[in-house]
Amino acid sequence: MENQLRNAIRKLLEEKTVDVAIGYGRVGVGGAVGAVFVTDPSEVDRLVWNAECRQNLAVHLSRPEVKALGKPAIVVKGCDARAVVVLANEGQIDRENVVVVGVVCEGIQGADASGVATGTLLDKCVTCVEHAAQNVDILIGDAAKAAELDAANAPNAKTAGKQAKLAALLQKTPEERFQYWRDEFSRCVRCHACRQSCPLCYCNRCVADKNRPTRIDTSATLKGNFAWNILRAFHLAGRCVGCGACSAACPAGIDLDLLNLTLANAADEQFGYVAGKELGAAPLIGTYAENDKEEFIR
Amino acid sequence: MNSETKTTGGFEPKIVAFVCNWCTYLGADLAGTNRLEYPANVRIVRLPCTGRVDFNLLVKAFEVGADAVLVSGCHPGDCHYAAGNFHARRRWGLFRELLDTLGVDSRRVHFSWISAAEGAKFQKLVTEIVEKTRELGPYEDYKAIVAEK
Amino acid sequence: MAKIGVFTCWCGENIARHVDCDAVSNAVAKLPGVHCSLNYKYMCSEPGQNMIAEKIKELGLTGVVVASCSPHMHLKTFRKTAENAGLNPYLVEMANIREQCSWVHSDREIATAKAIELIGMAVEKVRRNHALEPIKVPVTKRALVIGAGVAGIQAALDVAAGGVEVVVVEKEPSVGGKMAGLSETFPTLDCSQCILTPRMVEVGQHPNIKLMTYCEVEKVEGFVGNFKVTIRKKARYVDITKCTGCGACWNACPMKGKIDNAFDFNLGFGHDKKLGKRSAIYVPFPQAVPARPTVDAENCLRLKSMKNGKELCGVCQKQCAANAINFHDQDELIEIEVGAIVVATGYQLYSIGKEQENPNIQGYAEYGYGKYKDVVDSLQFERIISASGPTGGEPLRPSDGRVPEKIVFIQCVGSRDNAKGITYCSKICCMYTAKHTMLYKHKVHDGEAHVFYMDIRSGGKKYDEFVRRAIEQDGAIYHRGRVSKIEEQTVDGVKKLMVYGADTLSGKPVVVEADMVVLACAMTPTTGAPQLAQKLSVGYDEYGFLSESHPKLRPVETNAAGVFVCGACQGPKDIPETVAQASAAAGKVLIMLSQPNLTREPEIARVDERLCASCGACVKACPFQAITKEEIRDRNGNLVKTTSRVNPGLCMGCGTCVAVCPSKSVDLIGFTDDQIYAQVESLAD
Repeated sequence: MENQLRNAIRKLLEEKTVDVAIGYGRVGVGGAVGAVFVTDPSEVDRLVWNAECRQNLAVHLSRPEVKALGKPAIVVKGCDARAVVVLANEGQIDRENVVVVGVVCEGIQGADASGVATGTLLDKCVTCVEHAAQNVDILIGDAAKAAELDAANAPNAKTAGKQAKLAALLQKTPEERFQYWRDEFSRCVRCHACRQSCPLCYCNRCVADKNRPTRIDTSATLKGNFAWNILRAFHLAGRCVGCGACSAACPAGIDLDLLNLTLANAADEQFGYVAGKELGAAPLIGTYAENDKEEFIR
Repeated sequence: MNSETKTTGGFEPKIVAFVCNWCTYLGADLAGTNRLEYPANVRIVRLPCTGRVDFNLLVKAFEVGADAVLVSGCHPGDCHYAAGNFHARRRWGLFRELLDTLGVDSRRVHFSWISAAEGAKFQKLVTEIVEKTRELGPYEDYKAIVAEK
Repeated sequence: MAKIGVFTCWCGENIARHVDCDAVSNAVAKLPGVHCSLNYKYMCSEPGQNMIAEKIKELGLTGVVVASCSPHMHLKTFRKTAENAGLNPYLVEMANIREQCSWVHSDREIATAKAIELIGMAVEKVRRNHALEPIKVPVTKRALVIGAGVAGIQAALDVAAGGVEVVVVEKEPSVGGKMAGLSETFPTLDCSQCILTPRMVEVGQHPNIKLMTYCEVEKVEGFVGNFKVTIRKKARYVDITKCTGCGACWNACPMKGKIDNAFDFNLGFGHDKKLGKRSAIYVPFPQAVPARPTVDAENCLRLKSMKNGKELCGVCQKQCAANAINFHDQDELIEIEVGAIVVATGYQLYSIGKEQENPNIQGYAEYGYGKYKDVVDSLQFERIISASGPTGGEPLRPSDGRVPEKIVFIQCVGSRDNAKGITYCSKICCMYTAKHTMLYKHKVHDGEAHVFYMDIRSGGKKYDEFVRRAIEQDGAIYHRGRVSKIEEQTVDGVKKLMVYGADTLSGKPVVVEADMVVLACAMTPTTGAPQLAQKLSVGYDEYGFLSESHPKLRPVETNAAGVFVCGACQGPKDIPETVAQASAAAGKVLIMLSQPNLTREPEIARVDERLCASCGACVKACPFQAITKEEIRDRNGNLVKTTSRVNPGLCMGCGTCVAVCPSKSVDLIGFTDDQIYAQVESLAD
């Protein structure tokens, strides 16, 4: 598969279909997998594809310095592919001007503190039903295999992995939940790595960095941490694709994506809305239906 | 400033209400015109439309010590701006789920439709919210995170 | 440095009884930025306003808070006061310590404490207010009137008389609307056509009026003062500029006397099948304006054959000396620019038996409308007794052309009937039913006119006298009660309608063996009214009646600036009311178009284009399509960035965009985040 991927990208670069390919390569300390930007067809061997390709590369698409490199090709897994769709739907990229190279992903492994793969699949991969990336221009890998894996996960898609963690949290009393988040958020240092790693946090100036008025505390006070994490999660309502980049980036190890998952579940249950499923879909927030539920309104 | 008062000598909840200018604000005015008395614990922030109410304002209200918040606007179909309340309703439906996962006390977050003709509904709702919040007591959980530096 | 003046009003005793105004003034004087704090018995009185004006001048105040009644009561008053004293009016805010404080809290200590907090919020807000200038928008001096019934005709003539150009769009081939088909009108019994047709002719000839019949509004863009309206000119197959209206075509048409005429509500008569029927090329009624025919594509033999690649018939074309008939005519889209729009799309009768457009409304199958030919609705009866109708005003019943000896009139068919889904009163039926009984009795002296009614609602000048006349002079028989069902029976070889009803005053069942039944059906908005309302961003109720801006104070305005309503599209009403409302709408149009520029409130949204990431959330969310995505280019034409931009002419200031903007790059002037957060923060312990 890795070779197929390299060949496909080589062709795109050689034929000048694209100017740059955003893919995975061994770039970090000790050969950790991260993003590489290949502009020369002779360098496509830098590209790798394996179970350590954790990052959602779509985060780079809206970056001005990456845009300056010219027309891109981007390697995406199933989850990441939906982020590309959201970016296109929100006008951040011109979908016609990006070549999306999807891969069939059989699951990504977690890493220990030193970055070594643990051999166990990430939570999100346990419930994944999009092993073959959708809405792509080129698909690398065995689609039949992907369909098999999808079918195997389908029965547990709403119950296993992160969903199980969320369900366990929701089993607790509201007071216990509040205490849980209080403990978690008390470790937040407001480094905003969650924001920087998110492919959909692309504002030119984040509201958290604005101070007239100071809508949320700019420093890491506990109330500011609550406000920040509420704001971050809600700004992704109907947009988050569940790639888990935020949680993976969090140095304090906070399960931030539980909040995103809550909203993704609510979007699906209340409005039948799945973020990034469809090119050209209207946003969840910013549209309405006259019969949206309102049993909670008096 | 605080209106902690003498009547009960006990806990007087602070309630912040974000209401639209055309329906609920006028409903509150009508309660006044009809002299429909209700507890004095609510502070109304007048906005053009519930569509204008950002969720972060509710968070801010808790940060300044609110024991409960209310967001109220025009009934569906009555919006002065045709659809602001529809947009608001969709956001609230989602936001409530987030608050629930966070363990924010949903008994302290209220949403209502009150028209300009519903002075009596405004009186009744505010009275109920104040009484219920009195029973719940001060929102100690949130006050605690505000107090912690 | 802020120099804020706080002026606390006693409102006589209204505020002072429960709020200690001196204590309030003293407490708020200590708030940051407050430069002077005074109270007075009646702040809205002349001395009160003078007090504010003098302090503005004397102390050079930068902001004013008036703590008194609701801003809905007096914000405009005090802003004007400030403006006259040289302070920008938008630097004035109010604290509502009457409706929302002294009137609802009787404990003086509590009310006083709350008043202080409310003023504190207003002070924090006003510290962050900005001087604003009303927005000026240029105006296109031309009006559009949609619908040319009596409402549209009146509105158009009044606007035209004011020297402003008017475009009148009518979906039917002729102007005149429902009124052109009525018989005589209550309470004077003057002939409907006699009073309307001169107006119809005037609309057709007025130099300031451009009449567009057989046209519909396709699309509305733009905003108050500057609407761009696309009009669909439906294929008429007759060039009305060439046609002389000689009538050779419709007399030669082989379909003559065979096609239902919608103007006669598709009436047909058993004894003479041609009665009331028209040709495929037709003028709906002799007095039509323009008096030019239209080809009915569904029934024209030539047009039907052309679909199959043939060219049959064509008789009319051969007859036409003016060469005005063109079988290849097509719909045309025409764009016009107007400054104001009057909607006068009128009504129709609620469909009694058939399928309902509105799923919440049910019909009256038990009355046999559509099944029994002699059960007609009131508009059909108007045609039967109209001198210009198919029978020439002879009251003949449809099934066999006999003169009915007994007619039963049933009121409130649909109206005021929760069970059937319409709760409102259609307002005109009591009056026209009384009129129907009179007109019938005047023609059939020994006939019997029975009326079943729920109540008689005859409010209006000379209205009740009119109903009394029907009963006392003309001998109409009124039964207070409902009809449960109608059955057709043959008695002595003649079809009769057995009407089973009740008279609740005598407590007895009533059965009338009638020759004919007339149903006074509920008035509903014309088909397509909600769709048109959506194009115009005008609100409408569950039935599709358009919403006025305020039921008392702004009865012809709508919440879409520059769009006005009149006539039955806004709610059931009779001709005098319709005409009055149409003139009112015309007056409002003339007022609006009399200025070179429109001024609008400046409290609208504004985008910080440097920071907007152009995610498009606000573009989608704006209820008024006031926000668009725009490209910013440098002087060489290179794209620098895209951004959202608010059209100040369209923005109504709801602020929905602000709530959906993740980076808060859009803000609502007058209700900025800066102001609102400060208000909330002023409540901190």
